[in-house]
Amino acid sequence: MAEVLLKHISKAYAGGPTVIRDISIDVKDREFVVLVGPSGCGKSTLLRMIAGLEDITNGDLLLDGQRINDRAPKDRDIAMVFQNYALYPHMTVYENMAFGLKLRNMPKDEIRQRVTRAAQILEIESLLDRKPKDMSGGQRQRVAIGRAIVRNPKVFLFDEPLSNLDAKLRGQTRIELQKLHRDLQATMIYVTHDQVEAMTLGDRIVVLRNGDVMQHDTPLALYNQPANRFVAGFIGSPPMNFLPGRIVADGTALRFESAGGAVSIRLNGSVHQQALAAYAGRAVELGIRAEHLTDQPMNRQRSYFSPEQLIVFDAVERMGSETLAYFILEGQRFVARLSGDSTVDTSVGVSTFWDIDKAHFFDADTEQTIR
Amino acid sequence: MAQTILKYALLVLAALSFVYPFIWMLSASLSSESGLGSLVLLPEGFTWTNYVTVFTKIPLGRAFLNSAFVAIITTSLVLISGAMVGYALARLDFVGRNAIFYLIIFTMTLPFQITLIPNYITMVRLGWVDTYFALIVPFALSSLSVLLFRQAFQGLPQSLIDAARMDGAGELRIIFQILVPNILPTVLTITILTFMGLWNEALWPLIVIRDEPTMTMPQLVTLFSVGGRADAQLGVKIAAAVMLAVPIVILYLFFQKHFIRSMATSGMKD
Repeated sequence: MAEVLLKHISKAYAGGPTVIRDISIDVKDREFVVLVGPSGCGKSTLLRMIAGLEDITNGDLLLDGQRINDRAPKDRDIAMVFQNYALYPHMTVYENMAFGLKLRNMPKDEIRQRVTRAAQILEIESLLDRKPKDMSGGQRQRVAIGRAIVRNPKVFLFDEPLSNLDAKLRGQTRIELQKLHRDLQATMIYVTHDQVEAMTLGDRIVVLRNGDVMQHDTPLALYNQPANRFVAGFIGSPPMNFLPGRIVADGTALRFESAGGAVSIRLNGSVHQQALAAYAGRAVELGIRAEHLTDQPMNRQRSYFSPEQLIVFDAVERMGSETLAYFILEGQRFVARLSGDSTVDTSVGVSTFWDIDKAHFFDADTEQTIR
Repeated sequence: MAQTILKYALLVLAALSFVYPFIWMLSASLSSESGLGSLVLLPEGFTWTNYVTVFTKIPLGRAFLNSAFVAIITTSLVLISGAMVGYALARLDFVGRNAIFYLIIFTMTLPFQITLIPNYITMVRLGWVDTYFALIVPFALSSLSVLLFRQAFQGLPQSLIDAARMDGAGELRIIFQILVPNILPTVLTITILTFMGLWNEALWPLIVIRDEPTMTMPQLVTLFSVGGRADAQLGVKIAAAVMLAVPIVILYLFFQKHFIRSMATSGMKD
């Protein structure tokens, strides 16, 4: 059992800014929770507070129901993997992994057993006598993870562990971390600024911005039902397209009209009609993902929109599996995700079809999703 | 080509001008008193008499042990205290941290002669005159050591400290078992500079030590050479000076490579 509960946690530096504001998060036993957000959002600070490396200004941190705010890091039964690995350069891999156990006065035999076992899991048995400087980044990363595993802690903390690896190794390690989580059946809290890592690893994701929780939910819920414009723009690659405008009610007809007037979308019959009726006359922002903008006519049953104006793409990226086509509309950068065999080009105008039922509308003032 | 030759000629000339006094000292110490006074390379009238005289007239062996004891203990204390203070100044957060640091740096600008009298009075009040305490304690904390340790610790990643803390290490273990092994060039620099400074120090011992069995080598040699006990025999004085220089020269030869490297990199990150 290892449940981590953050209750109204805040962090302020003496005479400095508040970096974490009243955050409450529950991490269930064996859950993999990812804290994600742009740099400076407070995610690393939050992790370091859980580790005990930073003081908690206000609020309670509970591990299995016990308040651990004032417990020293070593007494929290929590292990952490650092971004730059933080291996002890003057020690061999074996010594690195055994160091924490030695300090806990564990018998030599058991230390050997645990280190060997962890080395097997991570396939670094052949590296045990090496020093960190004689290893590649990927190998060092494994040792750093091994150092956490041998402790057999209640909770694992990861602070951007993959950001120093190259793209290929990052993808590989991501999969191994998933497997590790399954095998160890441990509670894990993981910090990253990379939304792909967040989406692929997390059972649940906490999106942070400027010390506030923007949304805390499963990956697909974040993707499909973002709580606000920030989450909508942060989660998903390529990022969501946005178009500012307003809701116009004309008798019974309800429309979204873009600020520049180029787009006028009929909302009657769409899933948004009811919610948006209350916004008549108010400024909103339309958000639509790349895959909901196509060059293929849609099923007429759905609520869709097709601008009268033909779209001329100004850049086309052919990825093979898909084609990303870029254009600018009313000064906003748009991207459409088309099929891999699409023949669109940059020179000719194309009709586009927008899946309005899949689009999102955000209150222009609060940036909250209108539901 | 001509330029290269000129360059080497100049370098050789410079090297000779540095090394010749030393060679002369060596050969003079092995010359008979009558053979002294000329500029020579090899001893004239080779003899060990000068050395024999030195050892029979003053307790040089005892002084060597005193010097070694004082220098080793003090250097160790300088390393330990410097590492601890340097760590606190580099890595711990507390009110007045920078003020303390600047104060320590400020003391580096004060010549030792200025604090000589107050220090002496302190020693007298503590009753430490004619004891090893007077030779060791006033030098047990060095601002240079604090400065170099602080800079070196600042160059190490914070996560190293964090990782050790998560592993259960206390502050002392973090300093001496995790951080210090990773800044060995700095440690070596401080060791050599401190040790040499202490070994050559003659003024302070002259002031606080009057008891011959407690005297350090430079003090004893100085007293011997200028105090009249050498009976104005130049060769004997020089022999005593050679005995004083030999340990530090051996030490230098031993650490030469590290010495030069550490002087070159002590201010930079590893």
